[in-house]
Amino acid sequence: MVRANRVVEISKTLSEILVCPLSKQPLRVCEKSNSLISDAIGVSFPIVDGIPCLVPKDGKIIEAEVSRDGDSANTKRRYHQDGTGGS
Amino acid sequence: MAVLQFSFPPVAGNTRRRHQICASADRQALFSRIAPVYDNLNDVFSLGQHRIWKRMAVSWSGAKEGSNVLDLCCGSGDLAFLLSEKVGLHGQVIGLDFSREQLMVASSRQRSRSKACYRNLKWVEGDAVDLPFPDCHFDAITMGYGLRNVIDKYKAMKEVRRVLKQGSKASILDFNKSTDGFRTSFQGLIIDNLIVPVAAGYGLSEEYQYLKRSIQEFLTGEELEHLALEAGFSSAKHFEVGGGLMGNLVATR
Repeated sequence: MVRANRVVEISKTLSEILVCPLSKQPLRVCEKSNSLISDAIGVSFPIVDGIPCLVPKDGKIIEAEVSRDGDSANTKRRYHQDGTGGS
Repeated sequence: MAVLQFSFPPVAGNTRRRHQICASADRQALFSRIAPVYDNLNDVFSLGQHRIWKRMAVSWSGAKEGSNVLDLCCGSGDLAFLLSEKVGLHGQVIGLDFSREQLMVASSRQRSRSKACYRNLKWVEGDAVDLPFPDCHFDAITMGYGLRNVIDKYKAMKEVRRVLKQGSKASILDFNKSTDGFRTSFQGLIIDNLIVPVAAGYGLSEEYQYLKRSIQEFLTGEELEHLALEAGFSSAKHFEVGGGLMGNLVATR
């Protein structure tokens, strides 16, 4: 899927493997903020140029309201442009 | 000893240098500063021998076609690229490092190379003591010239063990802290009279002076074996390579 902006998404394979570096619980991709969310500890980790930044100090504590908004349709797994597609 | 004359532009960056590079953040900054010239200097200092030692490290890891592997402290990606070729398109390689600048170099090298197998290679910015991977996930792990720079080595070894599958190996290559006085002196001579002066040509003499201190503070082969066993590995063996200047720990979960 072609995107107009410069956000480089991480691959589906990678996003399914990664866990929160602190809680070791699964992460979810947030398309809106281009980040990986650890719901277990309420922290988001940025994705920069397609590279997930999961050093603990890279994490930002997210507000409860933003966390709830993140559960809406905007929070979907995004797949890299590898021809297999995704939503 | 002949003095090698090099003429290079100094590396741009922060001009303030700390005298003692001890905190993790300091080491992260150090590796980010040397990122632009890291590969070239590795070739110069080891006369290209580091490529052989890294191939040996990959071999010892047990990685094979189709394996799911992790290269820790991957830096600019030397070991990760070797692993990528080894595991092929049906395997997967993740290279993890705490320096974004080193990962940018690695990613750039990946884009400039045409081998199809490099599609199996992904980069993650992370900390070796807090790995963002589930338990029992990898068929093999490598770490090249990384453990010596980790402040909490025990915690890192615990994490390596945690994410390894049962029976799989971690292959950890680094400088050898020798118990042999002659070798230790020889290592020191090389660093003081070759490595630091050449690094000074890039404006990086303090960064490479850190190298000597880090080897002095590192563990001997026997101590590394003991550390691995303490961290829960079922077996651990340290091999000296490069005439005893380098060592490779092989630890099995």
